[in-house]
Amino acid sequence: MKVVLQDLVKKYPASDSIAVNHVDLTIADSELIVFLGPSGCGKTTTMRMIAGLETPDGGKIFIGERDVTYVAPKDRRVAMVFQNFSMYPSMTVYENIAFPLQALKRSKAEIDQLVREAAELVGVSALLKRGVRQVSGGEAQRVSLARAMVRRPEVFLMDEPLSSLDAKLRVQMRTEIKRLHQETRSTMVFVTHDQEEAMTLGDRIVVMSQGKVQQVGTPHEVFFDPYNLFVATFVGTPGMNLFDGVIQQSGDTLCVDLQGYMQPIPERFRATLNAKTPTPVKWGIRPEGIRFVDATDPNSLAGQIEIIESLGSRQLVFVRSGDKLFSVIVDSLHPVRQGENCHLHFDETRIHLFEAQNGRSLTQRG
Amino acid sequence: MALPIKTQPPSATRQSQFRIWFYHWSQKNIHWFFIAPALIAILVVAIYPIVYSTGLSFFRVSFDSRERPFVLFENFIWILNDKDYWGALGNTLLYVAVTVSGSFVVGFGLALLLRRISVGRNWIRLVLILPLTIAPIVVGLTWNWMFDPLFGLVNWFFIGIGVQPQTWLAQTGTARIVVMLVDIWQWYPLVFLIMDAGLSSLPKAPYESARLEGASDWMIFTRITLPLLRAVILVALLLRTVDAFRTFDLVRVMTDGGPAQTTETLSLYLYRTAFNFNKLSRAGAGATIMLIVISIISNFMFRFLYREQEGR
Amino acid sequence: MQPSLGQRLIAYTIFFILGVLVLVPLAAGVITAFKPRIIWVSSPPTWIFSPTLENFEFVLIQRNNLLHLRNSLIIASGSVTIALILGVPAAYALARFRFRGSKGLLQWLISLRMIPPIVVALPFYILFQTFDLRNTHIGMMMAYLTFLIPLVIWMMRGYFAEIPSAMEECAMVEGYSRLGALRKVVLPVVLPGIIATALLNFMFAWNEYFLALILGGRDTSTLPAAAATYVGRAQVEWGNLFAINLIIMTPVIILTLILRRQLVKGLSLGAVD
Ligand SMILES: Nc1ncnc2c1ncn2[C@@H]1O[C@H](COP(=O)(O)OP(=O)(O)O)[C@@H](O)[C@H]1O
Ligand SMILES: [Mg+2]
Repeated sequence: MKVVLQDLVKKYPASDSIAVNHVDLTIADSELIVFLGPSGCGKTTTMRMIAGLETPDGGKIFIGERDVTYVAPKDRRVAMVFQNFSMYPSMTVYENIAFPLQALKRSKAEIDQLVREAAELVGVSALLKRGVRQVSGGEAQRVSLARAMVRRPEVFLMDEPLSSLDAKLRVQMRTEIKRLHQETRSTMVFVTHDQEEAMTLGDRIVVMSQGKVQQVGTPHEVFFDPYNLFVATFVGTPGMNLFDGVIQQSGDTLCVDLQGYMQPIPERFRATLNAKTPTPVKWGIRPEGIRFVDATDPNSLAGQIEIIESLGSRQLVFVRSGDKLFSVIVDSLHPVRQGENCHLHFDETRIHLFEAQNGRSLTQRG
Repeated sequence: MALPIKTQPPSATRQSQFRIWFYHWSQKNIHWFFIAPALIAILVVAIYPIVYSTGLSFFRVSFDSRERPFVLFENFIWILNDKDYWGALGNTLLYVAVTVSGSFVVGFGLALLLRRISVGRNWIRLVLILPLTIAPIVVGLTWNWMFDPLFGLVNWFFIGIGVQPQTWLAQTGTARIVVMLVDIWQWYPLVFLIMDAGLSSLPKAPYESARLEGASDWMIFTRITLPLLRAVILVALLLRTVDAFRTFDLVRVMTDGGPAQTTETLSLYLYRTAFNFNKLSRAGAGATIMLIVISIISNFMFRFLYREQEGR
Repeated sequence: MQPSLGQRLIAYTIFFILGVLVLVPLAAGVITAFKPRIIWVSSPPTWIFSPTLENFEFVLIQRNNLLHLRNSLIIASGSVTIALILGVPAAYALARFRFRGSKGLLQWLISLRMIPPIVVALPFYILFQTFDLRNTHIGMMMAYLTFLIPLVIWMMRGYFAEIPSAMEECAMVEGYSRLGALRKVVLPVVLPGIIATALLNFMFAWNEYFLALILGGRDTSTLPAAAATYVGRAQVEWGNLFAINLIIMTPVIILTLILRRQLVKGLSLGAVD
């Protein structure tokens, strides 16, 4: 079932800022879409509007062909997993999972069968008789997943369901949610502030900030082709190297003047960039886009290695060149030593340019 | 992918403007559905009487006359010129000061003491809160009997240690002391309950680090316990103060204001004015003044309390 | 750090003395309720006698206190029930929804608990005559609601605030209306709180004397009002009086014993929050 958000606006009476600011979004049928953004950016509010727990101040929401903007939550046929709530404390695991079915007035036998199936799917079959005090946090979160899916909802909404779990369990549950999505093929909206979670889960990612959608795209697009400075800095750890520069004509090529170092702009962008007047820009490259090369390489920048941090199989190297500090990620086997002189080469295809004033990408392909 | 994303609206099902409006309205005002019944009831059983009583104090009203002439401030002037009123006010203030601080010290002290022991805590709690559950009137009658000069247990105790039997509740020197002691006996459990709960909810960490740093018990109490409990202490004091201010039952059955009006509280005075002396509107004026005074005090304490809670 | 033996000894001594001060008057009163008439005022008091129920029989049957007992039961349980029905939803809304003026409203409602009863009693006395509510249980209950509703709201708000709002929202998404969600998932969780609130309110209503004295009529006078009529007489009938006292005390003490856990929790929440 596809979900369409149309010019959605929400402002809480108790707060001055706009929580959700003119959001337009189409979520395809059977898609697993992830809302990613810093805390307070409006992810939960958007989700609550889809569920019907908040009424939008403007705009419309469609589930399938149905306008549900003014439909009560219980009639929307969506399921939601909450950030800070997992199990009804007054019920056993079994009763918890059966609870949504009782609202549908199904027969006892049918309920029993569906509950057992759902419990099986999330792996809590052995716990059905337990109460809330006798299950762990991870198990309780599984129960809430089972409760969400037992009604076979057309749309799944999950608001940071894993944020309260420890790291190992989180990764494990992540896989299970992915599997669940593949098995049920229902539309799933997953909210997180954890970009790794977003990257691994999402068919597409919606990056949000301050109530506005910043970019919608596949994990690949969001990572390699950020639409603006916000997405570029928010996605990816360690963050993108960013420096102030000016676009200038140098001989017959267009270059970014990085205060001393002239970085040629790749051929394919030249057409779109106008350099009649020098334009101030932000020049960016991810740490993965930088390589160490020999001093003989003409297209290189000289620097000195300041700090080396191991990331396991790879290492993060900070290189100083003039007043700039570059972070570079290279293989752990690559020999580097603190204090050593080195030369950096920037992969042309991984260079980003952003307008200095509004942060919009000048090099985005999409 | 570029922004903004243009979405084609699926064909919307038609909804009447009214339904949309109604949905918005009911969502925005849902709290009133829950609050309204209580609010209406409050208007009927509290606000209406208060307004009525205030209004009453500007007329001359008594049981034996149907006429109710408007007299403006006559009742207020009368009350403020009545030396019994000022006597009752003085008694009440003394009563509030003594019983509130007394019940607070005893209740808080016992709650602190309970932390020091481990065996039998629940039973001790239960015995300690017993007086609170007993009707003030029963408490008053029971202690009347305890203090009876002929066969009261208190006198027998004093005879045992060689003191002459006394008419405790009939002497101006002892009556108000006895009544206030009994009031403390009745109400320290409320403070005890609140402070006991407050103490149980305290975090452990500050205490452990203070112990490690070698702080004395007294320092821990004044520097950690008291500041953390400020809001709770305020609630306890607030409750006790307003209750003490309107004390009636205990005094009424123990001394009925005597001897020589040394135990006459405001409530008792107003009761007498209205029902013994048939001056309803004068009592109304007195009640209005009392209401204003209590509002000011409780408002003041409330402010203080909210500031505390915000500060936490 | 364990308190030293000496400290604990002192603590237990103080608790023992307090226990004596609390229990001796009550126990002595209870014993007197079972004394035969001739030794009510024996001096020194007699403690060895064969207990009798004649005092209870006398006050309940001869003195017609069965009626007062019935009145007390009707008025206290009736007013508490109404106060819960009205106050619990309001407490829920005040705990859940933030709207303009919600904080002020809460404070105002709570502060109603602090009105001096005389302020209410006087107008009720007159209004009862106007609306012909004299001598009716309904009238008495209305007067009691003045204090019970704010108390219910105060205590219950604390309980509701402890429950995450996601709980009923989850149920609402899962196919229940808000009321359905409240009934099915919130109610079971706050039930201990409701019980504690009910008990405490019952206690106040049951023990109430001032309003009962002023507003109680021939058919609506409650036990405390009846008990108070025993004072001021030339010869106090102590045995009969303590029989009534015992009848007043017993239900509340029994309820407290049964519900002590919920009571302590409820009181502390209302107070701390
Ligand atoms: N009930 C509320 N009342 C007032 N403001 C709120 C409420 N809920 C959220 N907000 C505000 O709305 C903005 C978006 O919140 P939210 O949707 O919860 O963000 P996220 O889930 O992305 O962390 C935040 O600035 C937050 O402070
Ligand atoms: Mg959130």
